[in-house]
Amino acid sequence: MNDLIQKLVEAYGPSGFEDGMRALIRPEVEPYADDVSVDALGNLIVHKQGDGSGLKVMIAAHMDEIGLMVTHITKEGFLRFTNIGGVRPHGLWGSRVQFADGRIGLISSDRITDRSKIHGLDKHFIDVGATSAEDCPVEVGAAVGFARPFHANGKFLTAKSMDDRIGCVIAIEALKRLQNTPHDVYFVFSVQEEVGVRGALTAANALDPDVGLALDVTLTGDVPEAHPMSVSLGKGAAIKVKDSGMIAHAGLVKLMRQRAEEAGITHQLEVLDGGSTDARSIQIANGGAAAGCISIPCRYVHSQSETVHADDVEASIQLLVEILANPIEL
Amino acid sequence: MNTFKILQTLAETPGPSGYEREIADVITDLWQPYVDELVRDRVGNLIAIKYGSGVEPRRRLLLAAHMDEIALMVKQIVAHNEQGFLRVTPVGGVDRRHLYGQLVTVHGRSPLSGVLGALPNAMLPPERRNQPFDYEDLVVDVGLPLSEVEAQVSVGDFISFRQPLRKLQGKYVSGKALDNRASVTAVTHALEYLQTRTHTWDVVAVATCQEETRLLGAYTSAFSQRPDAAVAIDVGFGKGPGANGENVFDLGSGPVLDLGPNVHPGMFEALNDAAKALEMSVSVGTHQRGSGTDAYGLQVAREGIPTGLVSISLRYMHTMVETVHLADVERSGRLLGEFAARLDDQFINKLTAGLMDDEETESK
Repeated sequence: MNDLIQKLVEAYGPSGFEDGMRALIRPEVEPYADDVSVDALGNLIVHKQGDGSGLKVMIAAHMDEIGLMVTHITKEGFLRFTNIGGVRPHGLWGSRVQFADGRIGLISSDRITDRSKIHGLDKHFIDVGATSAEDCPVEVGAAVGFARPFHANGKFLTAKSMDDRIGCVIAIEALKRLQNTPHDVYFVFSVQEEVGVRGALTAANALDPDVGLALDVTLTGDVPEAHPMSVSLGKGAAIKVKDSGMIAHAGLVKLMRQRAEEAGITHQLEVLDGGSTDARSIQIANGGAAAGCISIPCRYVHSQSETVHADDVEASIQLLVEILANPIEL
Repeated sequence: MNTFKILQTLAETPGPSGYEREIADVITDLWQPYVDELVRDRVGNLIAIKYGSGVEPRRRLLLAAHMDEIALMVKQIVAHNEQGFLRVTPVGGVDRRHLYGQLVTVHGRSPLSGVLGALPNAMLPPERRNQPFDYEDLVVDVGLPLSEVEAQVSVGDFISFRQPLRKLQGKYVSGKALDNRASVTAVTHALEYLQTRTHTWDVVAVATCQEETRLLGAYTSAFSQRPDAAVAIDVGFGKGPGANGENVFDLGSGPVLDLGPNVHPGMFEALNDAAKALEMSVSVGTHQRGSGTDAYGLQVAREGIPTGLVSISLRYMHTMVETVHLADVERSGRLLGEFAARLDDQFINKLTAGLMDDEETESK
């Protein structure tokens, strides 16, 4: 599975520029799907038919990643940029970035005179080896992804964009393993989550599911001086009860816990103080859906070294398959 | 109808956002006698429909009063000398200044009484004295050893406040969750009022869920019920010491009708006309941008819904001593009932025509 993870996490795909991601995921899911379609926003919608006795279930994992966008090119050929999604200036200095055409650039900043302060994004720039605005190969408006190789440190898997390519991997693997389901299941590989949970909203409006489940990363409380939180890396799939954007459907949480216990899947409960997922949009679309989330514990979220645990990934796949293979009574 | 008794039952029943089942049961019992249809939807709204006397397809008025309340949730179980304590996170806009010393119920495998504790002033370093505690400094103590706490309580269990409704002097009452059980009580009065009045429109009374966190019930019920017009009923800021300026109103002075971007001016006029017909005094409130109520969500459902907002004035919002005047609750109910009874076939046309007139006047 690490090959698939590596393929997806290393790929380029900031919010709004997910074409490449869609092209990577489509061949992975097509052999297992009854239907595959792409909507106007760019969501990849993969349908697996049920036997007619169950509910309509939407599973969402977002393909997009946080990134940057070029706003201005200096006369010396350096690129000024803004953020796409929750990019913080910490850790940008010295980063390498990639463009849609595979071109690599690197980030530096204006001169640092006070080392106790961190420059804002506006005082950083990208160097692509140009010598002037005229010979700069990049245009204003170009979307920028981070470039960082995948690394497996035993079961600790580190990469940029684990958020949420690991959710995509879980969706793909669950689709492959899911033999029969009573439910009409739509796996949505969504766009623009990082800029306001937008792809999942339009997909949910169109599909009108009874139940919505997001697959996304969550924070952990198991690193030095962490914000207090009970989720730890390696302690299993996290069943979301609440985050700052929504309260998961109480009946769905109960059902997810029951399925995990019955199948002996390692799991933990998640209450997240900051952040939300595609489930937030699915919950409020149309007349509303029973929404929840299988969260993958992840250290250093929104850095270029997001780290998940292979056992948690496996547990998440198993839990999703258990939920989908069995009746859902809320 | 005993307003105090109804409000007491409603206010003392726990119903944190996302866990409205128990309060929905209570409201079901309360509304059942007055309505023709009663359902719960998949996000947790309680939807009660009283049919109008008009011929089908009838127009529908949606009345939205949220039933959820602010609360806490278990975030972490921590150990201290083999005793188990709970760290908590807020559900909705909890005012953390008042948390220290509150009585709570932890809804674990079975309900557990607990208290919100922290260090007394004398044990704090001088610079931290006389300040509200952060969530990291507060614990819920249920008086059990760690192993028992772990057996009884899970991360994600909700915690409700334990506070009876009390009568102050006169018709003032005080307790928790009057935001927004006061409005649920008002809607109950409206449904009772409609038992003796003919109304041609269907009246869809919705006890909405998860208003305190994201107006979830307003968005979803307005979508599923497709009303022709809607009114949100919620509490607003009452006058009191320190709050005597604009946009705050005397408790006991009657309902407040809001104007602002979430309110269709024609809906405001029609509510005002209903008050005149009842010879009821009302105040006019205003809001900028969002009203912070279900009206915000109702207004943009589907193709857009003409929406009004009725507020019941309340002091000490989001505390355990929220205070309202019972006459305001009763009058708000009567006003909503009268408003619903006065709706006729021409109402929507008049709303639209009213807007067109205004535009013409402005263009001259």
